[in-house]
Amino acid sequence: MSVHDFWTPFALEPFINALIIGLSLASIWLVAALGLTIIYGTMGVINMAHGEFIMLGAYSAWVMQFFIGIPWLLCLPLSFFIVGGFGWLVERGLIRHLYDRPLDTLLATWGVSLVLVQSVRLIFGGEPQYIDVPDELSTVMNLGFIHIPWMRIFIFFVSLGLVAMTLAILFKTNMGIQIRAVMQNKEMAASFGINSKRVYGLAFAFGAGLAGISGAMFSGLKTIFPDMGLGYVVEAFLVVVTGGGEVLGSLATAGIMGELFSVFSYFTNDTFGRFVLFVLIVIFLRFRPQGIFTPSMARR
Amino acid sequence: MRRVNLYHDKRAQWAVYVVFFGILAIIPLSMDDPFTMNQYSRYGVFAMLALSVSLVWGFGGILSLGQGIAFGMAAYGMGATMQMQYQDPVNDPIPSFMLTNELEVLPTIWEPFWHTHLGLILAIGIPVLFFVIFGILMFQARIAGAFVAIMTLAMLGAWYNMAYDMQPYTAGFNGISPPSAFVAFGVEVDPYSNLIYWVSLGVLCVLTLATKALLQTKFGTIVQAIRDDPERARFLGYNVAYYQIVLFALAGLIAALAGLVWVMITQFVSPTSLDIFFSITMVIWAAVGGRMSLFGAIFGAMFINAAQSYVGDEFQATWFIILGAVFIIVVRFAPKGLAGLFEYVFGFIPYRVRGTSGARGDAHSASE
Amino acid sequence: MAVILDLQDVTKAYDEYKVVDGFNFQVEEGELRCLLGPNGAGKTTTIDLITGRQKATSGTIMFKGRDITGQREDKIAKQGVGRKFQVPAVFKELTVRENFQVAFSKNTDPFHNMIRLGRRDGRERLRQVVEIVGLQERLEEQGGNLSHGETQWLEIGMVLTQNPQLLLMDEPTAGMTEQETQQTSEIFNRLKGEHTLVVVEHDMAFVREIADVITLMHLGKTLAEGPMEIVENDPKVREVYLGTEGITDAA
Repeated sequence: MSVHDFWTPFALEPFINALIIGLSLASIWLVAALGLTIIYGTMGVINMAHGEFIMLGAYSAWVMQFFIGIPWLLCLPLSFFIVGGFGWLVERGLIRHLYDRPLDTLLATWGVSLVLVQSVRLIFGGEPQYIDVPDELSTVMNLGFIHIPWMRIFIFFVSLGLVAMTLAILFKTNMGIQIRAVMQNKEMAASFGINSKRVYGLAFAFGAGLAGISGAMFSGLKTIFPDMGLGYVVEAFLVVVTGGGEVLGSLATAGIMGELFSVFSYFTNDTFGRFVLFVLIVIFLRFRPQGIFTPSMARR
Repeated sequence: MRRVNLYHDKRAQWAVYVVFFGILAIIPLSMDDPFTMNQYSRYGVFAMLALSVSLVWGFGGILSLGQGIAFGMAAYGMGATMQMQYQDPVNDPIPSFMLTNELEVLPTIWEPFWHTHLGLILAIGIPVLFFVIFGILMFQARIAGAFVAIMTLAMLGAWYNMAYDMQPYTAGFNGISPPSAFVAFGVEVDPYSNLIYWVSLGVLCVLTLATKALLQTKFGTIVQAIRDDPERARFLGYNVAYYQIVLFALAGLIAALAGLVWVMITQFVSPTSLDIFFSITMVIWAAVGGRMSLFGAIFGAMFINAAQSYVGDEFQATWFIILGAVFIIVVRFAPKGLAGLFEYVFGFIPYRVRGTSGARGDAHSASE
Repeated sequence: MAVILDLQDVTKAYDEYKVVDGFNFQVEEGELRCLLGPNGAGKTTTIDLITGRQKATSGTIMFKGRDITGQREDKIAKQGVGRKFQVPAVFKELTVRENFQVAFSKNTDPFHNMIRLGRRDGRERLRQVVEIVGLQERLEEQGGNLSHGETQWLEIGMVLTQNPQLLLMDEPTAGMTEQETQQTSEIFNRLKGEHTLVVVEHDMAFVREIADVITLMHLGKTLAEGPMEIVENDPKVREVYLGTEGITDAA
């Protein structure tokens, strides 16, 4: 690359393509961040092992398909339960004891992530694995100058579906109402007889399960390898923190971030686009650490 | 006379430092293996990084996951300085990686690195300046806790991408490998020699003792007070953000010096110096050794890295599982790390002192 | 005597809800004023506004004739306003002695403090303060290991170390035993005259012990002001506390 072709001039058709890629990227970040949103929003826990929960979801889908022969589409919900169960264990064994120490939770979950990556490497090896997806999803949709793999369209709609499902669970089910009550005021929820420990456990498991389902889904898009979680976790965090730990906040931020990144990348390139995006987020958090929708809590 | 824990005796602490660095200083005299010396010099750099984490996090309460920013920036500055020491202004003015990237003239930002002194000043000054600006950005807005961790992490990720992307200036993924060793004051610092070891140890020793001394000043007490309760400190009249910015910049300075020495040792700098994993690993060293003890942190860094290289490459996965598990246990059960364990054990050793301030005529010595 | 603290028409509103509503409040130099009122009356918010922790929506706050409205906490503190928090706040990992050293903050510049040894700083003042609040035996103890009463005294002592002209005390006897409360009221009676004190308190026995004048807040406004006997018998006060045995029980 030479400096002179660093800047790409504007052209309509590739630009529209870039916007579509941005949407697709946004949906991927959204799915990756959804589980984290529940966990961060409910308990204020920064779960650094979230990327590894995604990785576990991908590997469990791969194991189910490779050793048992379960079709990929069926692996998605199964991964939800496998990783969700695992998350429940992590919450009981570790997170539960660190609720009043948020920084330590961040570090302890980083330790969990280290153990998970290396354990998977030890068991399944470090080489990338592939998964078979239904033929319909492995082709590309051609619409004039627009070319999108069907898999990306699938992920886009599933991500919206998962958001809708999460909102429905949060607002319509008994468990969701309890989660939201604890989110808003732990003491008051306790006085209404809500067992916040149980709610935390369920919320963490639910968030982990969502990570599992997204991992299983990503396995259809890219190869699977032990370190793959790191590729999602930083972006997922930024989505969640910028979104203020709310589902709709994450939805909005993922959309904005995806499009901004895609547009920057269109004019320059991927890595520089990511640089600009990260710097913008740091500056945004400087002025609105409470996130995109939450009213300001600053000194006034 | 009053019973105290020997662990808290300031004079005993200084004595431990003197003995520790004294022993480390004479290691090269008993072995003459250039590769081992190079290896040990690297541990010195890791110890500096753990020191910087201990200062900013253990004593200042600021969990920075972005110490690698200062480390990496300084490493690139040093890489550029060493590269330009090799280049010839007349016959060969442009580093070869730039030529392969179709650059015909030396970029302006590389020009200052023709001068070694200026290069060194920039290699240290730019990261420290960046930490000051970044610190102002965060601490003026009273960003704290996990948000600092996330913001430093995002910033680190941004610089990683930058180093990766600006290939004509940074050699991208391949990194810069200056062909010759660093020369300062007419002396060549051969990376495979006893000299490099003493340089690394010397910098570590000076930084450690300076930090130790700093923490015993009133500034040191105040930053710890701010760690415990920033609100209380604020209502006592302290500009908390100002203190945090200064502390953050000092930790950045230590990490930057580590980056400088690192490139002397390795003759190589690449985006891996800005890797997220690397920066979090520094936190693990400090946490396992004991973040609230400078000695614990540097010992943790040296011990973990020595153990890691002893284990060897074929058992790396197992090693990291053990390290991760140890880290979880430390965070969960022993936030003060190995140093905290020592503190606990030392509590059982009967040890009495005369009221130390009494000797200096404090009116309340009798009651102490 | 001169008015040292003067709040004129101070209002603090969150959206539509006014926590402090056009509050007027004057304290004279050397006075010990008790600020009373039911929960949610706006007492702690008033303290927050004076010390700069929150910014007033409107109105002015004058201290020693200077406008301090909306200034930053540390700047207000440096002008001579000391504050004790409702939930006692001390530096838990530092020793009691170090807590006092940090509180001795004549010069707050970080670079200046890098060349000062902590131990030698403010020793004279430390002795005076320890004489008032006690804790002689506990100087080398970690702040986090003190009992609740001791923690309260340490924080009062820290604020005193600064020798502020105005001391704002938010529930200084909360959680104290009867004996500890007694000791605290002795401390306060010693401070009166030399310092100006504003004390938010719920313990009426304690208030009777120390107060010259009390101000009773209700819904962000002054309901009554004056000596204890007068406020107690004020018909407006009786109305607010209808069905109770006066302000004593409501507190």
